[in-house]
Amino acid sequence: MDDLQFRRRIYADPNTRDEDMLAAIHSDPAKQNFTQELESLDNKLFQALNIEVPSGLSDKLILRQTMASHQQQKRKSRVRLALAASIAFAMGLTINFMQFSSAYSNLGDYAIAHIVHEEGHFSNTSPVNVSLDSLNEKMATFQGSFTADIGKLMFADYCRFDGMKSLHLVFQGATSMVTVFVVPHNEDLEFTANFTNDKLIGKSQHFKHSNIIVVADKNESLVQWQTAINKNISWST
Amino acid sequence: MATKQVRYEALVKALHGDLFRYAYWLCHDKHVAEDLVQETFLRAWRALDSLKDEKAAKSWLITILRRENARRFERKRFEMSEYEEAAITDTKSTSSEQEIENYWLREKIAQMPEEYREPLVLQIIGGFSGEEIAKQLDLNKNTVMTRLFRARNQLKEALDNTPKVRGQYNG
Repeated sequence: MDDLQFRRRIYADPNTRDEDMLAAIHSDPAKQNFTQELESLDNKLFQALNIEVPSGLSDKLILRQTMASHQQQKRKSRVRLALAASIAFAMGLTINFMQFSSAYSNLGDYAIAHIVHEEGHFSNTSPVNVSLDSLNEKMATFQGSFTADIGKLMFADYCRFDGMKSLHLVFQGATSMVTVFVVPHNEDLEFTANFTNDKLIGKSQHFKHSNIIVVADKNESLVQWQTAINKNISWST
Repeated sequence: MATKQVRYEALVKALHGDLFRYAYWLCHDKHVAEDLVQETFLRAWRALDSLKDEKAAKSWLITILRRENARRFERKRFEMSEYEEAAITDTKSTSSEQEIENYWLREKIAQMPEEYREPLVLQIIGGFSGEEIAKQLDLNKNTVMTRLFRARNQLKEALDNTPKVRGQYNG
């Protein structure tokens, strides 16, 4: 290793000690001296560079961080609260909507859906076993009564008509059953006087306390049924 | 959360001194240096999860600090001249010879061009190797070694040529 290279390396880093450098240092007392000189220079430089750190700087740093993360946490928990609140609000709205709103917007659609849903429960050949008395007993709930039979009544019971207590009557018809609903007035369901689907037709009539809906297949004369109902029904005050 | 806090405090305790010194030699102002260190550690706290290797912590922090320092210049140009900045106010008593020499050396170091001073500070205060400094400063290693050589060479020459000046102080 020549002198120039040695100087360059020792100047660049006085602590460099690979084999080449060690050999050079040991073989030449002048280089050894020079190395020591530079080491003492580095010592002085270290002293000079090693300025005093303000006392309490580390405490200050930790304090600032604690404050900052406290602020952050406060902000975070506020955001979380807002988030939780809006989720709860949205859930409330959804539940409200699902529970209290009708899937069907008018009487006709609901009546058809109701009958389609119960297809198979009744048949046109079921025994006729409901008397006028027991029908009127049930009609009392709706403040109405029939003065005479309007047809062969096979089934009469309360049912839920879009969440409302109503009366579900099944009569024997010409070819298939005729269903009559007595449904209290409801603002949610739009009154539809006539409705139909591919198999069934229906008619609704507005009475004092309730709507009466007649649904049957297309062979049936609904007007006849409505006339019979009109003739025989009476409403208490 | 607790472990992050513990890590952070350990980091502060172990490295705030070196970081402050490095910052000081970058900006020559104790208050600015303190601000820089505070900014640096605050950023470090936010990004602490990205620090995987504790051994790399020092160079990681120095990288943050250099970026902060650069940002300071983006915000506003430093209006003081280089030499005024370099004047070091050492309020400590300058009774001992060592102190006088320190004072004198500090002035010399402060007057050195930035490009020489920075690698020197990183080497002596930071304890980084030539390669590490090269990586920090985004330079090639030979350039760094040359700058270190010139930095020491300048300081040594200056020191060798001024025994009389020091004699004056010794009285």
